Amino acid sequence: MGQQRRYKQLESTAQLKKLITRYYALSRYHRLWGRPLKRPLAWVTSGAPVELLRAFKIHSVYPEQYGALCSTSKATLGLCQEAEAAGYSPDLCSYATSNIGSVLKADIAPMKGLPKPDLVVACNNICGTVLKWYEALARHFQVPLIVIDTPFLTGDMTDHAKEYVLEQFKDLISQMEKLTGRNFNPGELGKISDLSNEAVGLWKEIRGLCRAKPSPLNGPDLFIHMAPIVVLRGTREAADYYRLLKDEVKKRVEREESALEEEKIRLVWDNIAIWSNMFKFFKMFSERGACFVTDTYTGGWSMEIAPGDPLESLAATYTEVFLNRSPEFRAKQIIDLIKEFKADGFVMHSNRSCKPYSLVQEVIRKRVMQETGVPGLVVEADMADPRAFAEEPIRNRVQAFLETLSD
Amino acid sequence: MLNMDQKFKGIDQIDLLIDEAGLNGDKRRERYPDRKFYGFFCSYLPEELVLAAGMQPLRLFPSSLQGTPAELPAYCCSLAKGTLSLAKPGTYDDLAGYGFVHTCDTMQCLGGIWKDIVSQDKTYMIVPPVMLGAPGADKYFRIEAENLLFALGQLNKSNPGNSEVAAALKLCRQVRQLAGELDQLRPMLPSQLVSALLRAGQVMPREEYVSALQNALPVLKEKAEEAGARKKLLVTGAVLENDSFFSMVEELGGRVVADDTCTGYRHFIEPPIKEETENLMQTLINRYIEMPPCPCRNRGLDTRLNYLESLARRRGAAAAIILIRKYCDPHAWDAVPLAKGLRDAGIQVLVMELEGAGVGGQERTRLQAFIESL
Repeated sequence: MGQQRRYKQLESTAQLKKLITRYYALSRYHRLWGRPLKRPLAWVTSGAPVELLRAFKIHSVYPEQYGALCSTSKATLGLCQEAEAAGYSPDLCSYATSNIGSVLKADIAPMKGLPKPDLVVACNNICGTVLKWYEALARHFQVPLIVIDTPFLTGDMTDHAKEYVLEQFKDLISQMEKLTGRNFNPGELGKISDLSNEAVGLWKEIRGLCRAKPSPLNGPDLFIHMAPIVVLRGTREAADYYRLLKDEVKKRVEREESALEEEKIRLVWDNIAIWSNMFKFFKMFSERGACFVTDTYTGGWSMEIAPGDPLESLAATYTEVFLNRSPEFRAKQIIDLIKEFKADGFVMHSNRSCKPYSLVQEVIRKRVMQETGVPGLVVEADMADPRAFAEEPIRNRVQAFLETLSD
Repeated sequence: MLNMDQKFKGIDQIDLLIDEAGLNGDKRRERYPDRKFYGFFCSYLPEELVLAAGMQPLRLFPSSLQGTPAELPAYCCSLAKGTLSLAKPGTYDDLAGYGFVHTCDTMQCLGGIWKDIVSQDKTYMIVPPVMLGAPGADKYFRIEAENLLFALGQLNKSNPGNSEVAAALKLCRQVRQLAGELDQLRPMLPSQLVSALLRAGQVMPREEYVSALQNALPVLKEKAEEAGARKKLLVTGAVLENDSFFSMVEELGGRVVADDTCTGYRHFIEPPIKEETENLMQTLINRYIEMPPCPCRNRGLDTRLNYLESLARRRGAAAAIILIRKYCDPHAWDAVPLAKGLRDAGIQVLVMELEGAGVGGQERTRLQAFIESL
């Protein structure tokens, strides 16, 4: 708790808690209202085109977000061990294995696990793991598995990749029509996409406000307040929440109020947070005045759906997700962030659980340093599994890095 | 009965193939100075297109001395680390190019790193569909293949058209047919021999391979004998760069009668062709869509399990060994449902994690106990 007291919490956090509590309560009691209202429950990946599912009034829950929640609740280790006892390797993604652990042994999982799905929907724009993870879920629950295959983009989006994704969307629509008994309404999809864009636009603006010196937000703020853009994208609640948050952050900027007591160093973060030790880890930086003014991960949900045919726009948006792009693209992204946010350095979390994010980081680090002249640090850990967090070696590296920047 | 000439020639050719397999392409420049080799990593790279563009596909394997390149973290498979550490000092500089297939997250990343530090211009990644049965997957894959052919043509300054693709397709079918004959003999031949002969077909020029295997097969058929009391095993897994595991199986009284490794028979398998399409590229692609999938692709939830179960039954395998290369996520994921499904079907299963293809004392103890328990 001592660590958390130094953290300047936003007032909006109270509203965020209400929003997320309500979302999880609705999910938990879905069995009471889902069937009568003919609204199936889907487990979906964070990069799935949820707007399409919402158009069929499907209630979506997010095992990845739940994985983060398990980690902050210190439940991941026990859940991973359950999965490992069932044969899953400890080297696999800890979101996935902790989720499988929660399925196998719900009584040790926060909220006794997620409610049983009627279908599982994966989109492989974030990694290849989701295919295997959702196959395992579909086998376990004996429910339909839907995979949207968004081809990895070695360069720019291609016509044939877009057409392929579009074909799969059309197929998804016909499957959802059968499953829900509802007809597809393009107008409804358009409205949901507009709501998505509203929230995404506001999230983008909020992130943009951190260009101010001092920055009104630090890394943990971004990680905490990203929850609605992931789980409630395409709803009025998400858009309303981000309007509230934007007003508060804007006021901080107007008052020149820093997220830290005193901002001395501005940093860019790359990769998912170390949820198991988030405050402890970020405190290593904040106690020395180092603020994470922006990051690559929470920015993954700031891609708007372009105007035009909603299906085509969705196909492009969800295929062009940054994790589905080349190292050149990713390096440019960090270079741009460093320039735009006037950062003094960047920190990369080499995340054992997330290979597509992490394996290219060294190449990206060199390129970014070469291009910007700004130093970059790599720390190895895991987004959810506390076993991979070696506190002292990490602290030593962080201290040495910050001392270099302070010189 | 073979006459003496045939016999000597056959034995000679077997020696050649074993030698090539042991070298994994290391002596390509001395042995085949007139050939241009094109490096590849995965069986989903259409070899036909490399051949059509006038090059020889060379599967890239890590060496037994594993390097740890600074560009990759420790939690990365030894295939990626090993090949990158060979590439960095220039081991592959003579190759005309490098063909990556988008398979797992690691290969996705390795392709990007390779482009950055080995060669920007000579590195190409084809991205086949993951969902092989998805609507639009065949058309998408065909266009990916056409783009690859174009890129290969540019790389080798050739202009491959239909006739070159047809000739390459014919050659590959010949290779696969001969590999199929060899695979039929597998229960009656030493496991490490079949493994080596199949790997040779991924590291030497394909015409030479066809000729050598054609000459070797009659001798192999003559030498083939029933496995006797040997325990019949099915093996599934990813890349194996040497035959050490197969030798150990033989030493411990086992026989690999069915093989589903990336570098084993799965690489060569020719599934029954539904129809010959007028579009040659589509015909070619159909084989990659229809072949038994690796864990990185999906053609239905139980397609792999059903295939392996039926393969084990056809070959009379009493048990299955699932090999996982450390940090190979797709195979590690599949190990769980495969082990359960095969056990449910009455087939005993051993899951073994290996750092690379090499096996040591620890593996011997486990394998021995497993084989003895059968």
